[in-house]
Amino acid sequence: MSHSLDAYLILSALLFAIGTFGFLARRNAISMLMSIELMINAVNLTIVAFGAFVARLQLHAAVIALLVIAVAAAEATVGLGIIMAIFRNRKTPLVDEYDSMRQ
Amino acid sequence: MTLLIPLIPLLPLIGFVLTGLFGRAFPNEIHRVAVGSVVISWLIAMVVVVGALAHIGIDASGAGVKLWTWIPALGFTADFGLFVDPLTACLLIVVTTIGMLVHFYSIGYMAHDRGRWRFFAYLNLFMFSMLLLVLANDFLLVFAGWELVGLCSYLLIGFWYKRPVAATAAKKAFLVNRVGDMGFALGIMAIWTQLGTLNMQEVFARFSSVPGEWQVAIALLIFCGAVGKSAQFPLHVWLPDAMEGPTPVSALIHAATMVNAGVYLIARCNPIFGAVPGVMVVVAAIGIFTAILAASIAFTQTDIKRVLAYSTLSQLGYMFASLGVGAWTAAIFHLMSHGFFKGLLFLDSGSVIHGMSDEQDMRKMGGLAKKMPTTYWTMLVGAVAISGVPPLAGFFSKDEVLAGAFKDGFLWVWAVGFLVAGMTAFYMFRLMGMTFWGPSHVDPEVEHHIHESPPSMTRPLILLAIPSIFLGMLIGFPPDSGLIHQWLAPVFEATIAAHGPSEAAYSLFGIDGALMIATTALVAVAIVVAWRLFGVSIPSLNLHAEPRPDRVRELAERPGLAELYTGSSHKWWFDDINDFLFVRWGSRLAAAVWWFDRVVVDGTVNGVGAVTVEAGTLLRRVQTGRVQNYALGIAIGLIAMAAGYLFISVR
Amino acid sequence: MPVGDSIPFTSIRWEDLLFLGLSAMLLGSAILVVTLRDIIRCGIALMASFAALAGIYLLLGNPIVAATQVLVYIGAISVLILFAVMLTQTKNAPGRLVFQTQAWAAAVAAVVVAVIIIAAILATTWPATIEPVATATSKVGQLLFHDYVLPFEVVSVMLTMAVVGAVYLARREPDTREEDQL
Repeated sequence: MSHSLDAYLILSALLFAIGTFGFLARRNAISMLMSIELMINAVNLTIVAFGAFVARLQLHAAVIALLVIAVAAAEATVGLGIIMAIFRNRKTPLVDEYDSMRQ
Repeated sequence: MTLLIPLIPLLPLIGFVLTGLFGRAFPNEIHRVAVGSVVISWLIAMVVVVGALAHIGIDASGAGVKLWTWIPALGFTADFGLFVDPLTACLLIVVTTIGMLVHFYSIGYMAHDRGRWRFFAYLNLFMFSMLLLVLANDFLLVFAGWELVGLCSYLLIGFWYKRPVAATAAKKAFLVNRVGDMGFALGIMAIWTQLGTLNMQEVFARFSSVPGEWQVAIALLIFCGAVGKSAQFPLHVWLPDAMEGPTPVSALIHAATMVNAGVYLIARCNPIFGAVPGVMVVVAAIGIFTAILAASIAFTQTDIKRVLAYSTLSQLGYMFASLGVGAWTAAIFHLMSHGFFKGLLFLDSGSVIHGMSDEQDMRKMGGLAKKMPTTYWTMLVGAVAISGVPPLAGFFSKDEVLAGAFKDGFLWVWAVGFLVAGMTAFYMFRLMGMTFWGPSHVDPEVEHHIHESPPSMTRPLILLAIPSIFLGMLIGFPPDSGLIHQWLAPVFEATIAAHGPSEAAYSLFGIDGALMIATTALVAVAIVVAWRLFGVSIPSLNLHAEPRPDRVRELAERPGLAELYTGSSHKWWFDDINDFLFVRWGSRLAAAVWWFDRVVVDGTVNGVGAVTVEAGTLLRRVQTGRVQNYALGIAIGLIAMAAGYLFISVR
Repeated sequence: MPVGDSIPFTSIRWEDLLFLGLSAMLLGSAILVVTLRDIIRCGIALMASFAALAGIYLLLGNPIVAATQVLVYIGAISVLILFAVMLTQTKNAPGRLVFQTQAWAAAVAAVVVAVIIIAAILATTWPATIEPVATATSKVGQLLFHDYVLPFEVVSVMLTMAVVGAVYLARREPDTREEDQL
């Protein structure tokens, strides 16, 4: 089983689906951010899995995975900064109470 | 020389812009700009006039200057071009001179009005518009000036817009003018459809190629415009009400210049009118009917300005009659002399009103001769001039009109005009008697501060009295070959040669002399009757008579005369007829149209709007404003796309 | 005594057991992340899932990515998130509902996403080797600092910008009273 690419990819798909659910369902903005992290990790798992099983991609996959981690770190930083700014204005972390886009 | 022409209207326009822009900031100084621009414009105009009349730089057929192509539409071009010939020059003399004097007069007359800068701005705009109208060489440009003077008239009649009467009068003038202007506009369109050009010289040159019925239509439509602007029957009702405006406006616009625009237009279009004798008869009939109608109303009016307004109507009727019988030169001559003496009379009446603390009712005046000597003497000059007493201006011009009618075969025009000459003299001396002679009926409150007007007002009076006395002798003597005939001969000779009846030469001891003597005698009788009824007091001539109000009352109640008196004092019920025909029935028609508009048109439009709003109200619930709802939408969309792609690739 | 490739008495290989254990830990903690009421516990579960994923990277023979995963995700991002939690949570927030009104729809969407991706994975024939090949860290290093040096620098600049941006977004508005004191 650990020698099957499909197993890793399916694991990644499940992780991605869990992240999707969290992003769509959670009320808390920070929870949504965590869900995004889960989805990014799912993608990264796919990349590393391809790197391990496809010889042509091997080294490149590792580099790309590292770059993805770096970008995810940047994303998390900015995302949390935005959450802090909104929280200071709205006094709540609950996303469904941010309704100023409603007219 | 032609380079100077555009400056004449341009300067008042600049004055208008400056006055309008900076008037609020410098309300006490800005009139210097307005007056200054008009004075310079006058100087330039005089140079051009001399050039045009003495043929220095401008030959007898006139000189045009095309500034730019105004509307270069495909197949339709209208040029912004100006044109000066002797006819224009005559109008320039009247417009710029009287305009300038009225500007001077207004400095004093409007001194206590807070809106003085606004007044001067409007006056400058009027000067520009009127000069544009007179100088334009294109029917469309004439129409632009035509509408602009109408606008200025509206603005100036309603100058004291806080008074409901003034606002209503302004609206009335504007609306009645629209009726005439509509005709003029249709006439211009007709000219274009027939000739494909609106340039005046081209139109006149090629007018004979227009089919006969179109010639008649065009002439009638242009005449319709002239009737509106010059307040001829049946569109005469606006002019008396226009007296609600400040008196300088009455003098400038509603006596000396704008109302003459109709006369000018017909004289300018003499090749058009000369080609259709039938329309000429209509012009003469309308003119002479207006003359006697207005004169009969002037008999019984008590407002000093309204008497003068009806007198203006009457004199304009003379001019139209003169145009109609083919005495073109006489019409323009009367236009010029009337411009000066009627402007003078109006400014005098303004001086009286000013001195009387805004009292206009002649029944509350009397005995003002001693208190306001300059006003009195100049007004006497005006009254004598308009009455046609030789050798003042009115005598020569009116005599030419009557002689023209008589000798061109329009005996009925002459007969009515002859009567009107007597009536004119009577009502003018009625006015003089009630205002300046006889015992005072002035309110004691007002009595002690009656005063002569300041020099800024009396100087223009004196300056206007001079041409009122000498103009006739200067340019109208000898009749038929005076300067005015030499000036205007190039303008009218072609039309007269082609269509007009040929006049017999003037002869002092023939028919002309007889007519002259008859008219003068009638005028003398009328003046004496007026003296007997309303009083006179001229110590230097040893003339003295007490007014006899009892006899006036007795005459007014005599059977036969009583009906005439009532009719005259009710202005022959024209306002009532208009009220019934147009206001009552018009408002019913308007109400029906409004109902249609409200229910059918608005109903459709509002229905469409309501459906849109309802649909939007339903659809807006989709927009929750919550990020995650939108994210779910994105997810569903992506799923659909992925599933679709998967489905296609699997199949 | 050397340990065999497979668990004694079964044909199950050790690696498979490790994979199953790590997978269970990964998915279980991920589900906890998206379902727990207390956001602090969510954060801790997130750290657990990151750790499990690092293990899976090791299983795939990629130690450098695994190490980075531990350093960046567990060491930095999780801590950042926990700090954000401390700064933003009000007292009444955990008492409220955890999920949106659209939670059921979200669950269905998530399941459908999983099904579609798995269907696509199973329908595809991958040009894969039989078993994972370990990645040599030194070669990754050479590649990263040789062929990929430009993307590397771009990412570093982007990180700097992200830091500056985050500071700008999260900073407090200048206090006027402090300016007065200055």
